[in-house]
Amino acid sequence: MSFQRVPFITKMKIIKYILPLLIITAIIISCSDDQCNSETDSLLKCELIVTDTNLTAIKFIDSLSIYSPEWSDSIHYSEEGSDNCLLFTLSPESDTTEIVFTSKQAEFKDTIYIYYQREFVFLSPECGFVVNCKIDTVLNTYNYIDSLKIIKDEITTNVQGHIQIYF
Amino acid sequence: MYKAIFRYIFSILFIFTSVSFSFGQNDSLYVPKEEKEPLELKGIKFGLNVGRFSDYLFKPERISYEASFDFNLSHKYYGVIEAGYSEIDMEKDNYHYVSDGTFFKIGMDYNMLKKYPSDFFGVGVRLGRADFKHSAQNVLIEPDHWPSYTTSIDSKSYNTYWLEVSFGLKGELLKNVYFGWSAIVKIAVSGREDVDFQPYDIPGFGKGAKSINLGANYYIYYQIPFNRK
Repeated sequence: MSFQRVPFITKMKIIKYILPLLIITAIIISCSDDQCNSETDSLLKCELIVTDTNLTAIKFIDSLSIYSPEWSDSIHYSEEGSDNCLLFTLSPESDTTEIVFTSKQAEFKDTIYIYYQREFVFLSPECGFVVNCKIDTVLNTYNYIDSLKIIKDEITTNVQGHIQIYF
Repeated sequence: MYKAIFRYIFSILFIFTSVSFSFGQNDSLYVPKEEKEPLELKGIKFGLNVGRFSDYLFKPERISYEASFDFNLSHKYYGVIEAGYSEIDMEKDNYHYVSDGTFFKIGMDYNMLKKYPSDFFGVGVRLGRADFKHSAQNVLIEPDHWPSYTTSIDSKSYNTYWLEVSFGLKGELLKNVYFGWSAIVKIAVSGREDVDFQPYDIPGFGKGAKSINLGANYYIYYQIPFNRK
């Protein structure tokens, strides 16, 4: 079988086809957003439930602060809390986090010890790595804390962990 | 936004190729004979994906190469083998990510042209496999209140499989030298996901976070002067 050869695509046609593709490719690449637009904190929600009438009377929660011995600052409920909840991240460096609960209106402090497993997750090229956690157990002192319940043990950038502390 | 852009690309490609194809079919210079051609090797092309060189400009963190062989079987069916290498070295303020690996694709192209068998306008399918590893150093985590923490993520290896569907064209620019492009849809089959350490870019497949990737190849081919009439 033989054919008379005529190029299907002329040079002009090639130029016509290639240029739009190259331009569009360049536009796509230049449109890439290099900013991290995702949540990068894996937060634990700590819900505070006060049933002790003595603590309610002294407005225990309103003056409550929490801190970890490794922090250089504290979280004050009056500034960062709402709906009886405080949010914080667990230590990325250790499998245990110690959080101290203190109130100007109360004489003693309480401490909770959160034990968990860590995972380092590559969120995206723009955001880098984040730490997700899975809570194993939480222990506490009993000055004002009556009991404690783990509601959601998984802590990721999409899903908040959740514990309830009963005073 | 990406979806809109890709929809735009496909629309443009479709219009160009349709117009070109219809013009080509009206050309009366060819008088092919009616009989069916036997399935035999009629030529081999060696190609280099020149589109990959755009990484130097647009993705400086990546170096990649890709080459192909296509085997002309009866001007209608083409067996295709493609292979390549990709390396990523991405240094950011909060991590240093490195990855490298190879990929291999095997498949077929179907030429829809009837009158111009030395050129190609058609569709293709491929099965792709990538073998690669990645790791990260100087991973900096800076959560609120806690001191900064720096760690490393050990190297992990993966085998990823995917399917490709493509359409495109190839035309002879100079004697035995062809230029061609194709638009490709790549669909992940297995080995793409890792909840702990999602690969950034899978060699040959593209973004690891996506199960479907779209792309375009720009090839220059050399027709090995073999069995050519």
